[in-house]
Order: sequence, then structure tokens, then C-alpha cells
Amino acid sequence: MAYRMHLMVCAGTGCVSNRSLDFRDALQKEIEKRGLDNEIQVVTTGCNGFCGVGPLMVVQPDGIFYQQLSPKDVPYLVEEHFLKGRPVKKLMYVPPETKAPVPKMMDIPFFSRQMLIALRNRGLIDPENIDEYIARDGYAALAKALTQMTPDEILTEVKISGLRGRGGAGFPTGTKWEAVKVAEGEPKYVICNGDEGDPGAFMDRSIVESDPHSVIEGMLIGARAIGARWGVVYIRNEYPLAVQRINIAIAQAREYGLLGDNILDTGFDFDISVSKGAGAFVCGEATALVAAVEGRLGEPRARPPRLAEKGLWGKPTCLNNVETWANVPPIINRGGKWFAEIGTEKSKGTKVFSLVGKIKSTGLVEVPMGITLREIIYDIGGGIPGGKKLKAVQTGGPSGGCIPTDMIDLPVDFETLTEAGSMMGSGGMVVMDEDTCMVDVARYFLSFTQDESCGKCTPCREGTKLMLDILTKITEGHGTMEDLESLEEVAKIVAETSLCGLGTSAPNPVLTTIRYFRDEYLKHIEAHKCPSHVCRQLNTYKIDPEICVQRGHGCGVCRRECPEKAIFGEKNQPHRIDISLCSKCGTCVDMCHFNAVTVE
Amino acid sequence: MKVTIDGRITEVPKGTTILQAAKLLDIKIPTLCYHPLIKPFAACRVCVVETKTRWGDELVPSCQTACRDGMVVNTSNEHVLKARRFILEMMLARWPNVPILRKYAEEAGLKTPRFTSALKDERPDACILCGLCVRACDEVVGASAISFADRGIQRHVSTPFNLESEECIACGACAMVCPTSHIKFEVEDYKGKTPEFLLGPNTAIYVPTLQSVPRVPVIDAESCIHFKTEGCQKCVEACEPHAINHEMKDEEIELEVGQVLIATGFDAFDPTPMAQYGYGRLDNIYTGLDVERMLNATGPTGGKILLKNGQAPRAVGILHCIGSRDENHHRYCSRVCCMFALKFSHLIKERTQGEVYNFYIDMRAFGKGYEEFYSRVLHEGANVIRGKVAEVVQAGWSKRDEGTLLIRCEDTLIGRFREIPVDMVVLCNAIEPRRDAEQVGRLFGLSRSPDGFFLERHPKLDPVATTTDGLFVAGCAQGPKDIPDSVAQASAAAARMLATIAKGAVEIDPVRAEIDELYCSGCRICNALCPYKAIDYIEDKNVSRVNMPLCKGCGTCVAACPAGAITGSGFTDKQVYAELEGVLSV
Repeated sequence: MAYRMHLMVCAGTGCVSNRSLDFRDALQKEIEKRGLDNEIQVVTTGCNGFCGVGPLMVVQPDGIFYQQLSPKDVPYLVEEHFLKGRPVKKLMYVPPETKAPVPKMMDIPFFSRQMLIALRNRGLIDPENIDEYIARDGYAALAKALTQMTPDEILTEVKISGLRGRGGAGFPTGTKWEAVKVAEGEPKYVICNGDEGDPGAFMDRSIVESDPHSVIEGMLIGARAIGARWGVVYIRNEYPLAVQRINIAIAQAREYGLLGDNILDTGFDFDISVSKGAGAFVCGEATALVAAVEGRLGEPRARPPRLAEKGLWGKPTCLNNVETWANVPPIINRGGKWFAEIGTEKSKGTKVFSLVGKIKSTGLVEVPMGITLREIIYDIGGGIPGGKKLKAVQTGGPSGGCIPTDMIDLPVDFETLTEAGSMMGSGGMVVMDEDTCMVDVARYFLSFTQDESCGKCTPCREGTKLMLDILTKITEGHGTMEDLESLEEVAKIVAETSLCGLGTSAPNPVLTTIRYFRDEYLKHIEAHKCPSHVCRQLNTYKIDPEICVQRGHGCGVCRRECPEKAIFGEKNQPHRIDISLCSKCGTCVDMCHFNAVTVE
Repeated sequence: MKVTIDGRITEVPKGTTILQAAKLLDIKIPTLCYHPLIKPFAACRVCVVETKTRWGDELVPSCQTACRDGMVVNTSNEHVLKARRFILEMMLARWPNVPILRKYAEEAGLKTPRFTSALKDERPDACILCGLCVRACDEVVGASAISFADRGIQRHVSTPFNLESEECIACGACAMVCPTSHIKFEVEDYKGKTPEFLLGPNTAIYVPTLQSVPRVPVIDAESCIHFKTEGCQKCVEACEPHAINHEMKDEEIELEVGQVLIATGFDAFDPTPMAQYGYGRLDNIYTGLDVERMLNATGPTGGKILLKNGQAPRAVGILHCIGSRDENHHRYCSRVCCMFALKFSHLIKERTQGEVYNFYIDMRAFGKGYEEFYSRVLHEGANVIRGKVAEVVQAGWSKRDEGTLLIRCEDTLIGRFREIPVDMVVLCNAIEPRRDAEQVGRLFGLSRSPDGFFLERHPKLDPVATTTDGLFVAGCAQGPKDIPDSVAQASAAAARMLATIAKGAVEIDPVRAEIDELYCSGCRICNALCPYKAIDYIEDKNVSRVNMPLCKGCGTCVAACPAGAITGSGFTDKQVYAELEGVLSV
């Protein structure tokens, strides 16, 4: 039966948390009530990407985009749009600059500037229905790879494409596959690394949730190329929806004969099992991940031997990130050359970034390599809210570094980011405005890596703790110039001598902030001041007596709420803070409705 | 492959690590988490060295990194030393008093660490998280009784849930590999006390005694880790001639022989049931065999007479006739105790200069030179008290008396009750038949005397043979005796056996039983009755048959056979009647 309209309701984790499923149920009911269920189909899709404005829905075929929906909007929406044909303006996206609603999704700058390869099916298909994936050319690449190409030709195609690992290090995928292919040992394994642990990064989750079959197809093609028999999808247990969807997808693929023995009658055997992660960040490291899959302590080991030689169960293993696998089917379908035309000289194709922090449009964006940070932040992300100035962009998650404003015209690819002291990482992108203290940022990211260090090797275990202690000392105003010096030295040694990627990259936030924001460190150390007023221990709180009396009439809320009883004053009288008693907790600032408390 | 380490070129086989190659060149690289018998872990990073690569000078852990052909390694330039200093500095910040860290830090040129860790542990035997114990337990032993718990700075070695691990087999491998002695191995005896030494093999592989033939080490399957967990086998790796084989099993070998010498020896009497003497209950009470081990120069104390607290005893009491000449245990005299007790008196006196007291019933020094030795011991000043000891108790309650034992006895020569304080008591326990003597006797059809030892054919005329031809007996299996007597008896038995062998044939008595197979119903009554074990049952014919060389013609079977199938050859009814007729006809 042909429907005249498809309502694509986003059911990514972000929207589901904002109760998009309730909205979907209400919508379905209303449509049935109005007798439209023969004409209009409600589809539950994976993550649409524009997570900041969820729950959201796209009406196809017109591509009309509705945002921030709730069940109570349903009757009006159905009546107006689906019965009378008048799209509802008040539910549309309104860009802050123009104040004019934008009806079509593709006219919203957030979407129009993106280029979708890995996320090609997002918001367009029901991730729990294999037929919808097949309808969007799904498994065509597999058929091509199995029937028209030899494993060597697949490998050549991937090599021509110049695809590099999307998990962080950017190792050329073709080279990795070839190493596993030529390695001795049977059976060979392919693993999909879905242990996405970076705070603020969620592209892997989004891909598995919105398009799980693209990962399965990519693994199938990879397995064919390298001669693997078994595959493992390692996915975080904290992603229940993703676990559920990949399990459904695997079951459906098995049912269709796309997994199992003799796939598509070509004599190719391959099957996938799912392994759930137990929560340690370091298990995203390849060797630790393999140890965890084997049921051992999830700790990295020194390389060599590489996984290509001795991986899962001691056999040659090819481990790639979710996004990398999702990029494989389009490369086979459209040719490596097509892929290689996108991006920069050394970094080909597109990359998904999760754009978060002080930015107007939060969400997942897929952009061609070589795009500048400025384009991502201002054109796609819509700039900084509240008219604040951009201070830095943190890329690559806790292992990445901070790139200052004057470098935002850098083209984004693996090499330039590394040169700038940061890294591509898994694609986290945290935008920071002038209210952000860079010392505190370094301390925050380090506290994460310190907490997630497995503790196996000395530099990472002791060094991250030592750096964190020094940074804490500086943010509390007790730092000295010697501390800054030893901080830099320790950071360099930790980066140089640690065992795995976690340790070698953990000092990146420290090193880049010292490199680009040394003056902020100096202000903390020498003047005992935090320019952004983030480090509370360095702040001095004062109450403006005029504002306090004239606007607040000495309301006394600060006095009542102060946990140290450091504020004195009478009704209708100006209040004052006794600095000797103040613990600098900042409660008074938060409580005052008249902005009478100032921070210096 | 050629590698250059610190400017010196060497040739190494493929797979050699930088650390191993450096060792060949006598270049020292400090290590903390490395052990030659355990797989490299590359965690401590103290062993980092610099290698030249395409990307520049890289620091790599030498314990794990394999040599590549043409590799250039620098183990102690400023780049390496700086990193090493920093790593040691971070470790010292946390464990400032661990000797091995301080030593390495000094070697790397680090004087005092600049930092102090929030988790500072000032014990000199602090755990430095090298993981050797965890890996030894997992990889080598295969028990996996301990592992790392928590992560990051909180990481520590622990048993599951920090409870006593059921998987631990108390092998001590973790304690052995621990570089800081953080893990301690405490041996507890059956009373939960820590003995200063053990009177048994201390390791799983040992040479039984210096006199053992052949003098090769044996593996004690009860303490060997391999037999507990199927892991380890490190001895196999270490043994260069590849002489160790854990697959070897006890095997039964069947030999066909014409004669057997029973020389199964004796058991030493266990004095534990004689509660009045405190053996197994009080410290420093030993049997004769324990003291013999202690006196041995290759024994656990190296031949020194020591108390459990490691001191030499001031006085030692030697109690004769423990279990011998005792209505409640063995009525016989064990014959050797008097003399070995005198030997102990002599040696203990010589080695400890302490007092020695002998408590005897009768002093039996009957062998050649024995009486002279007795006189010599008396001259040396050993005390001999005639009287059986009533009991041995813990002396007094004061601190001063702690550990002292009190021997209570009646001195029958002066007719007085005496109490003598000593530090150590030696019980001269009896010789008794082996606990399996009964089974052995049944197997060979040997009789035993009331004391349980095997019975010889005649105590005076034939003391080495038994009632069964071809079966001989020698040594303490026949009765308590000392070494010269055992040697003499064994030599006699050997001579008797050789005489038969030399002759090549055995003479048998013409008087013997015969079974008429036609009448034998295979009831097997005769098999059990034959005192010489001379009747065998032939299974496939369902008849019994007499083994002619063994049959003595006693006639027991003839009388017992219900079918009348057995006749004494030369004594058939017909012959007896004929004989009678002959006699009567005169």
C-alpha cells in the first residue's frame, strides 16, 4: 500500500529521553482516530543528528522539519498539517538570527552544509526493519563484493578510497586489512569497536541506533576481503538501545541469509556475535578490548605483536571503529575513487563530529574532511549563544587538545589537528566560550583520564594523578612557577613512555592549554586570579550595596543561604560578605536575583 | 640479526628482546616488572631504552621489544635517563623507602624526588604494583588466586573480594617473585604456629638424601605446582638436558623369578598415642628419626641441634624404650635404641655443650665395641638415670620458664622421684612391623610371629629361610636388628639364593601330593589350605594343580579333598594298604 505521507519520528537516545516515544504513540492514535492510517505512516527512525532540538520529526516527502514536540501538540498538528495541508509554523525551527521559521529540513543550515556518507540513512529508515535498509541500496555493496569482486579487488578499492580509521588514530584501513589478510593463523576475526567512551561523543551510538545494518554490511565486506570467518561487535552496555538494535539487525540479517553459512550462495561463511562492554573507558583501546572480549581483565598490552598478528584468541584480528565499518558499503558501491575525491590530500571522505558545548545547534554533523573549524562552528553550529566570544575548541575527547580561536581557520583533518597538538580522536568537538577557564578544562579532562587509567603502567597511573594534583593546586591558587614547569615535564614524559594510547594522549589537554593559554596559567599562579571566574577558590565575592538596596531591598536570600554564615545585613540595608569567613562556594551568586553579587 | 647496543654490535637470533641482547653484552638495564620465567608485561617502564626509527628517537620498553635487524639501541643516554629518572621519581613519590627503587633512582642520577604522592606509602616493603605476583600465579602456577583490583591510582593486588582465596595452593610463587618482599610466605604447622625449620623436604624437587642411589632429584607430587594446577613446568624450561618429564607415572612391572628375598624393613613407632610424653603436643619433642635428620649435615638445620626458636638447647633428655618393652605396646626389645641413644648423647654433647640425660630401663650394649662406647659416653659426662619416665610436661608458669620441659621419673637406683628440666626431649621410639606386613605375609604365604615380624624357618638352624622354598627373609622384616646384623642376614640369604642359581636345578622331596584331574571338581578348598601356597587353580580346565617344587608333602590337602582326588605320591591308599599287608603278613 502506498502512503501519501511518512512521518519520521526520531527515536535516538536523545529524543527518546525527551519522550519522543510518547509523542509517537499519541501521533499514531490521533491518525487512527482521524482515519488517516491508510494514508499516513508513522516511522520510528534512528538519530536524526539535531539532538539539541528534540524530540523531532520530519514529514516526508516534503521534508518538513518539526522540533521540540510533545504529545499535546499532536491534535493541532494532525488537524492543520495532515488534514488541511497547512504546515504548523510554531513547531518549526527558527534560526536565532532571522526569527523566521524554516519549514524544510534541508534549508536549515545545520543540515544543508553536511555531507552524509556514514550517516546516509539517518532519519530515513526504521533501523529495526531490514527491508527499509535494503530499499536504500542496503546490502547492494555486499552483493557486488561477493559476486563481482575478488577479495583482492575489495582490498584495492578500499586502499584507493584512502579510508582511515575513524576511531582516533587514523590508521589507513586498507593497510590494516592487508596486514590481517597476509597474517598466518585461522580463523581470522573482525571486530567492530563500539566502546565509545569519550565524554560528549555519541556518533557510534547514533550510527548503531539509526543504521545498524550499515555496520554489519561493512563487517561482511571486510571479512570477505581479509578472509575472516567470525565477527564480534563490542558495544557499551550503557547503550541499551544500540545493543537492542544491533541484536535485532543481526537476527534479521541471519533470517535473510546475509549472515551464517553460504551467504548469497557464494560459499562465503560469516557470522557476528555481540559482546557487551563492562564500562571501562580503556576497553576502547584495541588490545584491552580484545582482552575484555576474551573475558580477561580489560587492560591494554604492549604492541607488537599487533592485533593483525595476534588478536582475538591469539588469531589475526581486524579491529575497526563503528564509523569506519559504516563507510565501507558506500565505498564499494560507488568506488574508492569517488570517496577519494572528497576530503584533503591525506584525509579522505567525511567525518562525523559531535558538536557540543557552548554552541547554538548541538548535535551530530557529518562533514567532508578539510572543512574549517569556523565553518563547523559558525555555519553549521550557528555560533556561540548569548553573543559570547569563542575561546577555544576542544577536539578528540579527553585525549585531544584545545585549539585557540586564532586557529579556527585550520582545515580539519588528521594531520593538521595533530600538528596543532590536538587530535581527530573519535570526533568529539567541545566548543568553549570566554566564560571557560582553560586551566579548569585541562583539570576536568585530566580528572577523567586519571579516573579511567587502568593503572597498569607507571607513567599513566602515577603521572596522570600527579598532573591532576598539580592542576588542582593551581586552580586553588597554591601553584608556583616550579609547578608549571614540572607539570609540563611530567606531561611530556607521560606522553612519551606510557603503554597505550590512553596514557600517551592523556597529557594533550594539559600540553595544548599550556601552549596556547600560558597566560591564563600565569594569572592563576602569579595573580591568584581566574580570568573566567571558574576556579572559585580564586574568586573574591562582593555585594554591590547600591544594587542590593535599590533593586533588591536587601532581600537577604544570600544571607540565609550562605553555608558559612559569612554574609551580614538587615532588611532594606546593603548586605556585605566577610571575606575571612567566605568559603568561596558561590552560592550567593547563584541565589541573588538582582545580580548584586559580583565576582572578581 | 645484527643489533647495535650502546655502540657495540652483536648478533642475536630472531625473537630476542633488547633486554636479552643487552644481557649478552653485559649491559645492565634496570627492570621492575620483568622476570625471566614470566612473559614480559612492559608496565613499569623503568627498562625503557631509545631506538632509532623512521619517526625519530623512540623510547620503547626493552623487556618486550624484540630486536630488529640493524636496530640501533641506546640504553643510557640523557634521553633515556631523563625518562627513567622521571618514572622512578613518580614511583619514589609514592613509595619513598622501597630499597630497589632507591637503588635504581641513584643509578639514574636522581637524588631526592620533588613530588609527594597523596597516597604515599612509606613502608620499605610496599607493593609497587609490578604485577609479577599476579602473573606468576596466573601464567606459571595456573591458580589465578590473586589479581589486580580497582583501576588507576587505586589499583592494588587482591584476592577475590579480599577474602582468603580458595584457589590459592600456598605454593609461595608470588612471594618468591615479589621484588619488595611485600608478599610474605608464612609456613604454619598443624597448630597454626610458624616453625623455624621443617623436618621434611622444603621444595618440590629435591635429592632425597646424599646417599640415595641413583643420586638424582625427585619431584614431590604432593607439593609440585604442576600436579595441582597443571601449570608451571618451569623446571622443564630450566633443565638444559631436558631430563624432566612430568608424564612419568608409577608403573607395575611383572617379573618372573624363582626366588624372593623379603626385606621390607620396619616402621618407626608413632609415639603420639603415648600422650604422657607430649609428642605432637609440645614443642621440641622429637623422635629418633627427627633428630637423625637434624644431625645430618645436609639436613634442614645443617647438622645443628636447634630448638624451634633457633637456639641451642641447654639440656636434652633422651627417653629409651618408647613403645618397646612395654606391656601396652610392644613387649619385645627393639635392640637398636640403646646404642643410637648413646650416639645422640655423644653428638648432642659435642655440638651443644649442653647436659644430656638418658632414661633407660636396662642398658643393652651387647655388640662389638658397644660396651666400650657406653663407657666413653659415661666418661664424657652424660647422665644416665635408670627408670622409666612417667611424663613430660611444660615447666612452670613464669616467663623465665617459657619453653622449658620438665621430665618426671623415678630414679630406681636411688629410689627417688625426680623432676629434671630440659629444653628438648628425644623419644627413642620402637621398631615395629610394617603396617602392610599382614598383606605381604598373605601374598607370599608367610607366617608371622606374635610380634608381627615374619617368621623364619628355624630361629637357630635356618634364620634366613622361610617355610616356603625359595622365599627368604632378612633385616628388620624378620625382627628388630641393627645395621651389622641386617647386613649379615641379607648376605646369608643372598648366598643361599645364589647357591640354588649356581646349581641350576632344585632338589625336591619325593614325598608330595598329586591331584588326579579326572576327579578334581575345582572346588579350590585345597588352594586355601596349602601352607606352602603350592596349589594353583587352573582356570580354563577348572581343576587345581600342585606346584611340585613347592610341595612339601605334608598331606593337608590329601586329607581335605572332598572328592578324594588328591593322593600323596608314594602314600596312596593302595600303597599304604600294600605296605600294611606286607607288614602284617610276616
